[in-house]
Amino acid sequence: MFYLISPSKVFNLIEKLINFINSIFFLLLIVALTFALILSPPDYLQGDSVRIMYIHVPSAWIGLGSFTAIALLSILNFTLKIKNLNMISKSLAPIGLLFTCIAIVTGSLWGQPTWGTWWAWDARISSMVVLSIFYILLILTHKFILEDFKANKIFNILAIIGLINVPIIKYSVDWWNTLHQPSSINLLKGSSSIHPSMLLPLILMLLVLLLYCALIFLMKYKTEIIKIKKKNIKRI
Amino acid sequence: MINNILFMNGYGAYVWLSFAFTFLACAVVYYKTYKTLKKYEKDFAKELVKLSGSKRRLILEKSKVASQVFASYKNSI
Repeated sequence: MFYLISPSKVFNLIEKLINFINSIFFLLLIVALTFALILSPPDYLQGDSVRIMYIHVPSAWIGLGSFTAIALLSILNFTLKIKNLNMISKSLAPIGLLFTCIAIVTGSLWGQPTWGTWWAWDARISSMVVLSIFYILLILTHKFILEDFKANKIFNILAIIGLINVPIIKYSVDWWNTLHQPSSINLLKGSSSIHPSMLLPLILMLLVLLLYCALIFLMKYKTEIIKIKKKNIKRI
Repeated sequence: MINNILFMNGYGAYVWLSFAFTFLACAVVYYKTYKTLKKYEKDFAKELVKLSGSKRRLILEKSKVASQVFASYKNSI
């Protein structure tokens, strides 16, 4: 199965996917923004500040999901020793950091009108800061350790250690008294307490941000493939 | 209508700042990623150009990645 994701096999497909995403991205972005900023109703308690949710929540999901994917790929890499998995993980890390930072900043901007404070060291926010530190460490590993084998090993170990933080982020609102409300959407049960008029823009914005992630991931993965081919040019 | 969208009953600054920050951050990351990709494509193609004709032909025949990067580099110049 892993033969199918070999760089030579997917290189041509990457270009086609990038072109496809570019062709639909702006149309979907305009539709999603129209729903998020104009058509969706204000919340009965939070008023129009609830619109920040359409950026904040999908960003937090992507930040958390990317780290989970990196950690699972690292576990797979330790057991199966597949080089491609490292390239995928390495390409995912900057995306995860970007969206974790967006979640933290937009959360702060949402916190001021809702809770009356820009920042509070509550369990959810603190664990998200820890997540961003793990992302920074992962990225720095490849920046400062030049030997690939060693860098990959440290990257995988850090990702697996960081996996402990993922359930802490997810369940922090249930385990501790925090300013954050408990989750309104249960992806495992497929249930939601959000009204459909707000759920639709949330899903649309999630889709737009996921497409953006795919675009960045594909460009980064392509760069990684070229880097390796360049190193191997004398051996080809 | 436009006032409502802009000021959002006093929450406009927070909402617009959130969206602006997100799009600015995403645009910067996109630009940097795109630039880096193009730089590596160019460097790789230049390495291929430096090689002797027969060696380059051999590489382009054996590696799909090399042939595609080289073709897009030739199209761009």
